[in-house]
Amino acid sequence: MLSIKNLKASIEDGTQILKGINLEVKPGEVHAIMGPNGSGKSTLSKVIAGHPAYRVDGGSVELDGKNLLEMEINERANSGLFISTQYPTEIPGVNNVEFLKMALNSKRAFLGLPEMGDAEFKKLCEEKMDLLEMDARYRERGVNDGMSGGEKKRNEILQMAILDPKVSFLDETDSGLDIDALRIVANGINHIMSPEKAVILVTHYQRLLDYIKPTYVHVLRHGKIILSGGPELALKLEDQGYDWIEEAK
Amino acid sequence: MNAEFIQNLPTAEQAIARLRELGMPKRNNELWSFFPVAKIPTPEFMDAASAKAFATSATSDASENAAASQEADFAALLPIANLARPMIREIVAGSAEMAMLKCNNDFGHTVLNIGKGAKVSLEILDNKVTHDIAAERFDINVGENADVEIFFANPACDLPLRFRHFNINQAAGANVRFSSICRDTAIGRVSVECHLKGEGANFDYRSLHVLDGNASQHSRLTIYHEAPRTTSTQLARNLLSGNARVSYDGSVIVGYDCTGVNSSQLVNTILMSEDASVSVKPVLKIYHDDVECTHGNTVGELDAEQMFYLVSRGIPKQAAQEMLMRSFAQETFLPLPETPAKKRLMSEV
Repeated sequence: MLSIKNLKASIEDGTQILKGINLEVKPGEVHAIMGPNGSGKSTLSKVIAGHPAYRVDGGSVELDGKNLLEMEINERANSGLFISTQYPTEIPGVNNVEFLKMALNSKRAFLGLPEMGDAEFKKLCEEKMDLLEMDARYRERGVNDGMSGGEKKRNEILQMAILDPKVSFLDETDSGLDIDALRIVANGINHIMSPEKAVILVTHYQRLLDYIKPTYVHVLRHGKIILSGGPELALKLEDQGYDWIEEAK
Repeated sequence: MNAEFIQNLPTAEQAIARLRELGMPKRNNELWSFFPVAKIPTPEFMDAASAKAFATSATSDASENAAASQEADFAALLPIANLARPMIREIVAGSAEMAMLKCNNDFGHTVLNIGKGAKVSLEILDNKVTHDIAAERFDINVGENADVEIFFANPACDLPLRFRHFNINQAAGANVRFSSICRDTAIGRVSVECHLKGEGANFDYRSLHVLDGNASQHSRLTIYHEAPRTTSTQLARNLLSGNARVSYDGSVIVGYDCTGVNSSQLVNTILMSEDASVSVKPVLKIYHDDVECTHGNTVGELDAEQMFYLVSRGIPKQAAQEMLMRSFAQETFLPLPETPAKKRLMSEV
């Protein structure tokens, strides 16, 4: 499904942030990426998405055998990639629902499917909003405009639910969520997840992984994945931090 | 007061005499410092030969008319000098009117006297143009506590040169909302002189320019706060592509003894190309301490992070740009009350 091989990337001043990432994600898997601040977790998501602030120095990222790095940003999304950033951008004036409909129909056009009409989209949107316990106010607002941190994260998962991606890369989706919101968002992700899809979660805390059981846990440090393991690794990291990994080496 | 106002309007001869006195607009004249003045054709009556013929009869009359002798704006005098006969319309106190105005030819002059407490929605349509220059003048006197909206959102116009001049006088408590969308492809100038003469009068100005090609559009506003607790708002937004050029020359003048005045001016421009340009000149002349006046100006490109966000959700770049441009444009008119003006302007955006 998603295959990242020896991915290296740097920022404008030439500083290399990703120094050779390797990650294989298969359908039905949930991968958790953990690591100290500044280790490259958010950079990884942005590089895969095609953010123009980053330059790819080498390696490949393939989704179902197609090299994402050769695609335009929108083509990557329409091919089945969904990236939720740590701080979702606010876009005042662009209506949330119109944006969602435009995004969905862009994907459908890319896949050669007919445009979804207003009535069908409204039904789909309401269904997903119910799933995430979102009230009607979200429909009237601008994209992430004036929303709290938690509301933005919920809005991101609504987009994920509607766009139905093959692989979702969720960067610190649990930050800014209170206990109830965390449960609702996690339930939403679990509901969207299926044996044909995969999720990569970036998190600092075990609490999200209490709700979404990871297949694998990886530690990213200094731009490389330095350790991988099962769900028990997250518990150990929560208990002991990261320093023991390097000391053990 | 209104009868006196009409009586004091300059005659064609007086306007011609005053224009001769002023001469053709020059870049060193503050009123025209941003305007491509070389593009203004010299009217026949400005020629030296014809000037001589007019000289004796016209000049003496002009000196007797205070309004004509004080008028300094070429664009305000031009329609009258070109024999635009004023269309005078009285709107009685307390009435509610929706109207559309359209001049019959290149030069139009409209005088509107709006009575106390009237509610008026006035849309200005493009006039019929046959020459290479058009100029319209509007004198609008707004009575106490009247509520008036003036707006235009005409289709893109390729007139070589167009002037629109508004002279607005507001009595106590009068509220005027002036809103416009311009997509013209040639050269134009909208000038507004607003006199807030009565306590509590409010003037709200909103303009949106969406220009491409070699369009060159210029706004000149002067708002005179002549009474206590008067308020004014200016919001100008520009979306410029190609070689398009916009200037915004906005003055706020707060008089002596005008306590509690509140005024704001904000110009936001998005430049979509390397060659598009904007010039902004805010002027604040404040002769009283207890006032609040602000001005701001931003120039930039479409927000790169917002673009990335939209495109990363699968939306093609061109469509994402259009979404952001539309939202930028719509925000110009979002705060307006739900009136015919807002409906019309938002539908045009």
